[in-house]
Amino acid sequence: MSDLLHVEGLVAGYGQAQVLHGVDLTVGAGEVVVVLGANGAGKTTLMRAIAGLLPSRGAIAFGGQPLGGRRPEAVVARGVSLVPQGRGTFTALTVHENLRVGAAVRGKDKDGIAADIEHWYEVFPVLRARAKQVAGTLSGGEQQMLAVARALMSRPKLLLCDEISLGLAPKIVAELFAVLRKINDEDGTALLLVEQNAELALDLAGRAYLLEVGRVAGQGPAAEFRDNDAVRRAYLGY
Amino acid sequence: MSLLLDRLFDGITNGCVYAIMALALVIVFRGSGTINFAQGELALFTTYVAWWLSTLGAPIWAGLVVATVVGLVLGAGIERTLIRPVRRRNDMAVLIVCLGLFTALNALAGLIWNSESKVMPSVFPNGLEDYLSIGGARLYFDGLGVWLVVLVVVGLMFLLFNRTRLGLHMRAVANAPESAALSGVRTGRVLMFGWGVSGAIGAVAGVLVTPLSPQQLGLQTMFPILIYASAAALFGGLDSPVGAVVGGLVLGVLQQLIMGYVGFIGDTLPQTAALSIIVAVLVLRPNGLFGTRQLERV
Repeated sequence: MSDLLHVEGLVAGYGQAQVLHGVDLTVGAGEVVVVLGANGAGKTTLMRAIAGLLPSRGAIAFGGQPLGGRRPEAVVARGVSLVPQGRGTFTALTVHENLRVGAAVRGKDKDGIAADIEHWYEVFPVLRARAKQVAGTLSGGEQQMLAVARALMSRPKLLLCDEISLGLAPKIVAELFAVLRKINDEDGTALLLVEQNAELALDLAGRAYLLEVGRVAGQGPAAEFRDNDAVRRAYLGY
Repeated sequence: MSLLLDRLFDGITNGCVYAIMALALVIVFRGSGTINFAQGELALFTTYVAWWLSTLGAPIWAGLVVATVVGLVLGAGIERTLIRPVRRRNDMAVLIVCLGLFTALNALAGLIWNSESKVMPSVFPNGLEDYLSIGGARLYFDGLGVWLVVLVVVGLMFLLFNRTRLGLHMRAVANAPESAALSGVRTGRVLMFGWGVSGAIGAVAGVLVTPLSPQQLGLQTMFPILIYASAAALFGGLDSPVGAVVGGLVLGVLQQLIMGYVGFIGDTLPQTAALSIIVAVLVLRPNGLFGTRQLERV
């Protein structure tokens, strides 16, 4: 399988504080990959560096072309879309406007954009009911659904999800993960997940990485990860 | 009664100018997170361009059009060359650049066109007989013209923000710049366009307001207007275009009524009154009338 995303020797951080010390990671076309790790391991930094929000050193290639050093708007135009931690919505814009902004890279493809908005309203009926409400008035779960739909409006080949289950009720989390599985199955969208809810994420993923203080400490098929005693104790709690 | 109407008409005319200057301030504030103190001097510079063209024999409405285009280009150019390089450091740096621009543009206008007052031609008929008589009060045509132009500017801005893709992107960048970039919005271009629009609005405001004031065009013409517009923008809520327009009109009318009826303030202290409004708003209602309260469900 040729790599869709190929990350090699990635070094990134905030100002003087270096967080990632040379991370190697790949995601194949249509693959689901999860990154596990404790708080402060650098999971969010990894996602932000790939999305172009942080300056980084090392190589990031997407579809065989270098991606490192690009601005976020160029990264999403290439087909990599991030659902940032803490809901990436526009709180002062209506739900419908949020989805329209999400399609910014698609130019003036009005019919296609309208059809996609309609599609996400069918996937998340609650968003249709709130279409004319400003996003700031939505509940946490509704905002996260909107953030996912907004990120998918750019029709990415790879969707990055940074802790989308954080702070949400189990029922909502299950619904979100069902949608992720669906877009992977039906549209072939590859997924790179950073997740606290390791059980759910390993269930969805084909492969997993373990990140420890900015380095990859382990990797392998998700099924093996679940059977690994150390991982189980640390991240699954049994 | 007719005296009250006279004052009301004058107040609305001034208020219209404050309103669009405040609107220009709000557009920049929403994108760049700072009050553009150079807004007034940007307007001054473009007003000089219109005046200069009129001395060469061009009709003043042509000068208005050229000044608006110069304002657009100058505003966008300033964002690209001076604001963008410092923006990523912090908002304070942007503020300092704006203050620097304030003095630089004023000095530049003085250098090119010297510091003597100029007679600025009016876009609208402004003879002593050019008025409508309403209830004994006089609504002058040049005042009415200002009302109409401002109505058109506000209408265009409304359409821009609410009916166009670019306007939607401007609102997105104002609301959450990082999410906008992640969505593929070209934030740099959007901010540059916002500065350009502000420059163009400033030019319209400057060309319209200068012939109304008895001092005509001088290097100090736009400074009081900037103070009033800042007060209006604060009063309305710095991030609210609707608030800017309402704030401008309220301030214009209030100013005329205070000057007319509160003798001891008179004509000498109106700027102090504007500054008092700024302080009062900051103390009593920091988000203004229509501003966003920083309170959301998360």
